[in-house]
Amino acid sequence: MNRFENFKAGLIKDNPVFGLYLGICSTLAITTTVNNAIGMGAAVIMVLVLSNMIISAIRKIVPDDIRIPVFIVIIATLVKIIQMLIEAYAPALNTSLGVFIPLIVVNCIILGRAEAFASKHGVLDSALDGIGMGLGYTVAVIAMSFIREVLSTGILNIVNPFNDAQVWLNVTLIPADYTIPLFNSPVGAFITFALLAAALSAYKTHADKKAEAKAKEVK
Amino acid sequence: MELKSALGAIVVFGSLVGVYITLYKLNKKTPLPPGCEDLKADCEGCHDYACTNNPHHER
Amino acid sequence: MSELITLFVTSVLINNVVLNQFLGMCPFMGVSKKRSSAIGMGLAVIFVIVVAALITYAIYYWILVPLNLQYMDLIAFILVIASLVQLTEMFIKKTSPALYKSLGVYLPLITTNCVVLNVCLVNISNSYDFAHMLVYSIGTPIGFALVLYIFSTIRERLDIANVPNPLKGNPIAMIVAAIMAMAFSGFAGIV
Repeated sequence: MNRFENFKAGLIKDNPVFGLYLGICSTLAITTTVNNAIGMGAAVIMVLVLSNMIISAIRKIVPDDIRIPVFIVIIATLVKIIQMLIEAYAPALNTSLGVFIPLIVVNCIILGRAEAFASKHGVLDSALDGIGMGLGYTVAVIAMSFIREVLSTGILNIVNPFNDAQVWLNVTLIPADYTIPLFNSPVGAFITFALLAAALSAYKTHADKKAEAKAKEVK
Repeated sequence: MELKSALGAIVVFGSLVGVYITLYKLNKKTPLPPGCEDLKADCEGCHDYACTNNPHHER
Repeated sequence: MSELITLFVTSVLINNVVLNQFLGMCPFMGVSKKRSSAIGMGLAVIFVIVVAALITYAIYYWILVPLNLQYMDLIAFILVIASLVQLTEMFIKKTSPALYKSLGVYLPLITTNCVVLNVCLVNISNSYDFAHMLVYSIGTPIGFALVLYIFSTIRERLDIANVPNPLKGNPIAMIVAAIMAMAFSGFAGIV
């Protein structure tokens, strides 16, 4: 059940965004609306899983000393393909995510997982790890964008990424008079991130203390 | 026309990759200047394994 | 001319790459614990970005556009940036140990740095001509170095402050960044 433990860890304890502080740039920038978060999360999961699988498949034939250049080239190609697909099929997402789709190339999560995991494990394990980390990232950005969007505009609005006009969910959670537009700006982004990271850190210390107490009890 | 464009793409891509790999290998071969062997950039911002500065590379 | 000055001020202060565009957060969080490392990182970034912007601009307009290969921009740029970092590190190793001690160690951190790739991509997507490209590519890393330095001076004090446990380390640094962003947003009235 080691795979499942790994998967669970990637979701909360070793959450790539709030636990390992990877991929912070894109997190802060795109979390203005939940739509962007979902779109970006999906793109990152796709790139992560595909790159993990490809790199794991060729890990035996790549000479060890040039592995980082090879990884970078593979990831850049994948991101370019996904960028072109998004431009073609979800143009609204392309405009709102803007330059952060190409910047997935230098997103620390992808290169980091490729080097730490995919280059040492089999294809299936790497794919699962990619999904786990990708989901951790997606959960993190959705949580952050939920807080930011609801506090700054009061409205939770989710549309179909492939067809702008199709609104899936539109619910006003906070009346317009009580919203805090600060959360739309960079200041709000930093504050939300800090509070969520602190919450995760507090949870981790609490969980560690509980595990320690249990271990002492067993003795 | 299509073939010419695809050929051009492969040549550009191949030459860039070649230049990068050559420079990467040359850089690995050049020794650090004397007195600089144990320098480490003082950075622990993230646990990015791909960053060559990450302490996990010290093996 | 005034347009160029406006662009410079915008890229350094108003549309600051760290506090407004959220790029370069990894070195911002990581290298800012001491003033000396912040200065080293800032200077290294300025050098790499200016040279990388020039080279990628040239490659895009002299090679990719005539051959109708604009879709290769991302791959070409990242390869150029990575090669440039290797070349610079090699060059510094061979010529000046003193320079290596102060800047060279930060060069590997710049390859996967969002700022460099972003500057190269924005130069193309905003269709800057040469003068604008130069001003933007010099202004942006100066903005980065400036914020990094200010942040490191604050963080040196933060280390000995009484911070609640969950907020220790990166979270409190983020809150400081939030306050800095608030301060910098006041510059928006200059232009």
